[in-house]
Amino acid sequence: MKEKEGFVDCPEQQMILYVEKEDGQFGPMQTGSYITKNYINDYFTKRNNLVHSLREQISRREISPVKLFMVLEDLTTKELSARTRIPSRKIKKHILPVHFEQLSEDLLHRYAAVFNVTVEQLLKADPGTEPLHDESPKR
Amino acid sequence: MTTIPFNHNMGAHCESGTITSLLNHAGLTISEPMVFGIASGIFFGYFHQHKSFTFPTFIVRNRPGDMRKNIQKRLGVKFQTFSFKQEQEGIEKLDGLLMQGIPVASQVDFYYMDYVPSWERAHVNVHFMVVIGKEDSEFIISDSYFPKPVRLKEESLRRGRFAGGNMSPKGFLFYPQYVPAEVDLQKPILKGIQKACFNMLHLPVPFIGIKGIRLFAKRVVDWPKLARDTEHLSHEVMKINILLEDQGTGGAGFRFMYATFLQQAAEIVNKPELKELSSELMTIGDGWREISLFAARIGKNRDLGPAKMAELSELIMDRAAVEERFFKQLKKSIK
Repeated sequence: MKEKEGFVDCPEQQMILYVEKEDGQFGPMQTGSYITKNYINDYFTKRNNLVHSLREQISRREISPVKLFMVLEDLTTKELSARTRIPSRKIKKHILPVHFEQLSEDLLHRYAAVFNVTVEQLLKADPGTEPLHDESPKR
Repeated sequence: MTTIPFNHNMGAHCESGTITSLLNHAGLTISEPMVFGIASGIFFGYFHQHKSFTFPTFIVRNRPGDMRKNIQKRLGVKFQTFSFKQEQEGIEKLDGLLMQGIPVASQVDFYYMDYVPSWERAHVNVHFMVVIGKEDSEFIISDSYFPKPVRLKEESLRRGRFAGGNMSPKGFLFYPQYVPAEVDLQKPILKGIQKACFNMLHLPVPFIGIKGIRLFAKRVVDWPKLARDTEHLSHEVMKINILLEDQGTGGAGFRFMYATFLQQAAEIVNKPELKELSSELMTIGDGWREISLFAARIGKNRDLGPAKMAELSELIMDRAAVEERFFKQLKKSIK
């Protein structure tokens, strides 16, 4: 890749790209993320739709907030089990509302810590507000 | 406690960038592509099913930790390493090293790095960065993905260091304890290339190396059956772009950085054929870049029918063919 083709104006996500310089030498250039620059709004649309769909399933009592966070954070049952030290067979129960509602304080805290949310957010199935593209932190 | 004077540099990749920064700090001037190449970083692996992944995925670098181990073995550097069963012990060790003025690399789950924008975060237990100081309840971090040092809450670093799960960091820390005054790079370069060729051509595992690229090409057409819905499929297909370009590869799934290594290596080992191969790999990388852009485009347009998935498969299969030829030539060139 030539240096002039590598530049992407995206201050929100900077990165190093290795390119061919004008003198034929290969080396690093600091540039921006192509996908963040062009498609970040698509990411937020899909994520918001997913949160909406999972919350509807919670309101229909088909799943619990544990399942919502597992899907949002791409965690398998085995992976969540290893992170929370809660057996997989119990997690499979906790993704159902009837069992989730009986969770102890300790188990709620363990789930919340792994999902990086407060217990209150876990109970409300609230993953927090995603910053809009224009409000995202600048690097 | 204050911040240790440390020359922060951006790097393409977290592990090679971290090792490079630490070696430079310790007095050994070496480039990131040279670290990556000597450590046989270039790789390919496809995982259609894995207990820790919710969807098929692939990797484009060798096993996390192997870069450090290979650099130690091939350059004669001695890294001091620590992992911990008790969190408190790990927390005290890090504080102690910083008090001694030692910048120290830490392995963490990327998800808890609160200086990273939310859309970039994922539960990946193999992110590496250098801790260079502590002020009040915040650590000062030199993370090679960022243009400047960043601040991280004490609690976030604790969560990241002691996350459980696949490849759990267990609070892992390392720093170079001994760096030779002078290093002859010739043998390490040749050893690094030899091992990379073996990994890409001969590892007897059906999902690794060239065989892994072919498996990826064959199985990607099955992805629609595995997705929850079209938006999920779109997300996973667009992740091909992220895995090849955005997750610290230097572009084209590390192919551009490895080409840079080969160009630098050609002069050191005095083998002009490596320079020709470096140009060829740059062109091969352009093909991977084309796959990245294609995946992003069809994902965004939700144009994910059988014809487009087959086209994606063909593009990947073509990379397998050209990389097989390339690595065979590379192997021959160092004999």
